[in-house]
Amino acid sequence: MTRLAVIGIGQSLRGDDAVGLEAVQTWRLSHPQTAQRPEIRVITAELPGLSVLDMLEGIEAAIIVDAVHGGAEPGRLHRARSEDLEAFATSSKSAHGWGAAETLRLGREMDPNLRRLDIRIIGIEAVEFTVGSSLSPAVREALPRASTAIQQQVESLLERKEA
Amino acid sequence: MKTITVPALARVEGEGGLYIGLQSGKAVEVRLDIYEPPRFFEGFLLDRFLQEVPDITARICGICPVAYQMSSALALEAALGVKATPQADSLRRLMYCGEYIESHALHIFMLQAPDLFGKESAFELAAAAPQIVANALRLKKIGNRILSTIGGRSVHPVNVCVGGFHSWPEAATLTALLPELEWGLKTCTEYVEWAAGLPYPALESDYECVALHNEHEYGVLHGEVRSSKRGGIPVQEFETRYIEVQAKHSNALHSRTVEKSTYLVGPLARLNINHEQLGPKAQQALRKAKIALPIRNPYKALLARAVELVQFFDESIELVKAYKPEGPAHLELQLHEGEGAAATEAPRGLLYHRYKIDGRGLIRFAKITPPTAQNLPRIEADLLALAPALVEMSEDEATRKAEDLVRSYDPCISCATHFLKLKVEETRS
Repeated sequence: MTRLAVIGIGQSLRGDDAVGLEAVQTWRLSHPQTAQRPEIRVITAELPGLSVLDMLEGIEAAIIVDAVHGGAEPGRLHRARSEDLEAFATSSKSAHGWGAAETLRLGREMDPNLRRLDIRIIGIEAVEFTVGSSLSPAVREALPRASTAIQQQVESLLERKEA
Repeated sequence: MKTITVPALARVEGEGGLYIGLQSGKAVEVRLDIYEPPRFFEGFLLDRFLQEVPDITARICGICPVAYQMSSALALEAALGVKATPQADSLRRLMYCGEYIESHALHIFMLQAPDLFGKESAFELAAAAPQIVANALRLKKIGNRILSTIGGRSVHPVNVCVGGFHSWPEAATLTALLPELEWGLKTCTEYVEWAAGLPYPALESDYECVALHNEHEYGVLHGEVRSSKRGGIPVQEFETRYIEVQAKHSNALHSRTVEKSTYLVGPLARLNINHEQLGPKAQQALRKAKIALPIRNPYKALLARAVELVQFFDESIELVKAYKPEGPAHLELQLHEGEGAAATEAPRGLLYHRYKIDGRGLIRFAKITPPTAQNLPRIEADLLALAPALVEMSEDEATRKAEDLVRSYDPCISCATHFLKLKVEETRS
């Protein structure tokens, strides 16, 4: 029944590295009817590394939300799709090792099923990673925009399936 | 003054820095800055209720949350003067097996094997030897499934509490894991010989190995803290022998013995000290691969991890078959003032916690000594031994070789493929 996964990745208690987790929570609270649809699996995962691949089993599409550190202005949203993964991985690194982009690349090389998955990545430019700090102001301000972006991607993916 | 810096990091918080100081061309100092001590967490825990501690400390190291949950739960149980039931203890051990399986499968095949095969990353290894990577992912997934079955989810499992578990998992969900566990045992047994044949760089040191030792089982949850050079002490005396000292020119606290010497924790230390406590299947794998003990080459920690995979798959099968949830999943805790310490073996090595609590169960003091903090001076000493060769190399090659050595230790940031900024400096004496 589950067709779509919304996965927030990050590290709580480590400043802006929590933004992926917080963005998905913000989306869930602002769009409860969508978030509670039975065909959507919502996950917040702390440093899942390769375990992200297990979260993608049996679904058709996924939206992955994570902090990125590519040098753009803090709070800026980056969007990428499965096809862009190679470029995404090298040009703007995820904020932790075995980040989402690298993991997805490896997964798709190893598993043909994953190549059919429609993956949308939302990266939120982050800047403050000190343990114990909360989200920096510019990144916190990005949460509503990130939540809207997630909702847009969810609607677009659900429409595609229904079409 | 010669300075080399190499950019590009996969991990942003705690940029890795490696500094080599030369005098008259000879390496006299190595400083490795890759590790962030858990001082924030020790402060953050003050005034928290003791049941919050396992979940909070699990966030210190994203790769081994179970180890933190176990060390903290055991230390707090010691503070209260209680012990979890034998059933809860066995389930904790099974959960730890899951974490070991995940952690070692990742490190052996995805992190260190690429180095030994001369590949830049697991991607390149996947292209050259896809079966190895496919097996690694499957092994790691089995570890995940153990954790999610017992803990509710594989990433930061939530079922562990001070006193035991919040609830017993259904036996059927555990026995469902058996076919994959059997496959894992068979596959990992074959990989021990494969591991013994890999081209390890030559480097030997006379380590003081330190590990949890237990006469009746391969030490993970309970035992004394044993050193290969000076025997064993009860966990309560850990801080009389192993202390944290302020490293020069740095904010980091490094662990050393009271004599200020270095020591080694982790799979090599465990295998060297506890190989007689391995089960028959792991013993046989060790013999068949003709692995000579004690192992003194840090790169060969991979061998120890390979043998431990056999051990923990073997134990998982036994523990799953014996699982019979009886009685309450956790103790009813009587809160009172107290102080307690515990050490358990995380996949990376000994993880020590000590807590003081007040009459309401609130934390008054927390001290956490992770395995990577204990190994840091030891890694620096090995890098110092390697330094004469490193300074002759190109910057890229030197960085790569240094990273290979650091990675063989499986420190808490080993997920990163490229994580070191190398600086070499000639100083006036």
